[in-house]
Amino acid sequence: MSGRTNQLPFDLFRVPVLGRLLRWRHSRTALQIPTLMVAIAMIVHGLFGPTLAPKNLATTVSWVHFRGALVLVLLCAGNLFCLACPFMLVRQWARRWFRPRLTWPRALRNKWLSAGLFALILFAYELFDLWSSPWWTSWLIVAYFAGVLAIDGLFKHAVFCKWVCPIGQFNFVASALSPLEVKVRDEGVCTSCRTKDCIRGRRDGSGLVSIQRGCELALFQPAKVGNMDCTFCLECVQACPHDNVGILSRPPASELMSDPRRSGIGYFSRRPDLAALTLVFTFGALLNAFGMVSPVYTLESWMARAMHVSHEAPVLGAIFIFALVVEPVFLLGAAAWLTRVWAGSRRGILATIVRYAYGLVPMGFGMWLAHYSFHFLTGMLTLVPVVQNAVSPWLGEPLWRWTGLPTRFVQPLEFGFLALGLMGSLMVMHRLAEGEEGAHPARAFVPWAAVCLLLFAASVWLILQPMEMRATFMG
Amino acid sequence: MAEAPAVTIEREIDPWPARVGPAEVTLKLTDAGGKPVSGARVKLEGDMAHPGMKPEFGDTREIGPGRYQGRLAFTMAGDWVMLVHVTLPGGQTLERQLDVKGVRAN
Repeated sequence: MSGRTNQLPFDLFRVPVLGRLLRWRHSRTALQIPTLMVAIAMIVHGLFGPTLAPKNLATTVSWVHFRGALVLVLLCAGNLFCLACPFMLVRQWARRWFRPRLTWPRALRNKWLSAGLFALILFAYELFDLWSSPWWTSWLIVAYFAGVLAIDGLFKHAVFCKWVCPIGQFNFVASALSPLEVKVRDEGVCTSCRTKDCIRGRRDGSGLVSIQRGCELALFQPAKVGNMDCTFCLECVQACPHDNVGILSRPPASELMSDPRRSGIGYFSRRPDLAALTLVFTFGALLNAFGMVSPVYTLESWMARAMHVSHEAPVLGAIFIFALVVEPVFLLGAAAWLTRVWAGSRRGILATIVRYAYGLVPMGFGMWLAHYSFHFLTGMLTLVPVVQNAVSPWLGEPLWRWTGLPTRFVQPLEFGFLALGLMGSLMVMHRLAEGEEGAHPARAFVPWAAVCLLLFAASVWLILQPMEMRATFMG
Repeated sequence: MAEAPAVTIEREIDPWPARVGPAEVTLKLTDAGGKPVSGARVKLEGDMAHPGMKPEFGDTREIGPGRYQGRLAFTMAGDWVMLVHVTLPGGQTLERQLDVKGVRAN
């Protein structure tokens, strides 16, 4: 027996009622059916309902409630959205008729594509003002369903989740800060296990028919570390013949502080694609918030004049390239160079950037939390009149005055999230410096702490800016 | 179902360009023949283009034949949509959506 049994962590499966529900064989489907119904309602209302975004389910649920609930659930629990993902339910039904035959190309088995798609969605959000368009928002959801069906209809395993889905990648990175993880309870049990059902799945007596899937994302439970690439699908829980997989508590961000070999992932320090994804996550958080404050329009207008263009795309493109490429390369490049010079690190600049990039995830998550929880908390009650309006007249006159918490109550919470993110990033950076630069950890820590403080200052500045949501910038 | 009456609504907003803060909104309602529509009840609703924001409401009073005036507060900078809810003297109702783009910060 391993020593872990002496200090049993909290296990969500041990919670009365909830634990039983989650361990139920059809729990995922039971969670996916309501989210699928909501997604269908959003598509229909977005295409055929009111054209005004605040009155439409597609825009209100997508850009106020879903995003806000997503980050708060990631903070308080884990990657539960992927568990209840409606796209995967449709994919499961479709796979009854279409058996995928192809294998995802080796060249695409990395996060470069998904990091690019993540950045592309952020770009499209600003360029097409998705937040103000129920029609475009609906088509985005439809495109998501189509993308899942096309990719997972052709390619075996959970290719869309692991290598493509931008929402999934957001969840994978953010869930590094979650307090819960799907994990083996007792490593000793896994050592003596001969069948490895958690990864292989189970077949019937003939060996021809699969009766239980193993992990489709190639995460072998005994060697799985952290939440990266885990969709909380709970297939491993169902597959384990020893009832040895739980949803266990752990210190948030702990998975960012060390660099063991991770099943299905390898070493973080050897994954520049994964590091790039975390940088899009972190710098994208600031960029996404920057798109909603007054100074962005002044900057865009100035750039449009300087570039002699009248269309937003090239201006926005230049801002995106600066924020997601130039700025991270400059800041992290400088920090990596200083780490070499001051701490005498022998690692190359790029390798140093890759190693420390993960330390910025808490800061990025703090900014996403501050931004999305603001919209969620100040606008959470708007769901009531929007639903009333959608199914009117059965639910009475819509209560349009219902909104949410006043801004003055939410803003301190935003600063709290930013401070939490800064603290988390400083802790991770310190641990990384201790682990990587044994001789001079303090000297290695200083430049990375400076990067964290700079991002924190930029985030605070963004939160203090007056919000201005415009679909045009030339006005 | 009765066809929506052909009413044209022209709007004036003071100050213009609109700025954050209270604004005076004047609406001119005319029928298909160009005659002023008097005796209507006209209510204003201001919504941000982004969902989840607090809408603003305002009443109007008729200050001349077919001319209605009221106040509406633009509480933040950005694109607003003004909804004009009209109840005509005959009880028919109609709603018009008027864009107020680029409300500026003070």
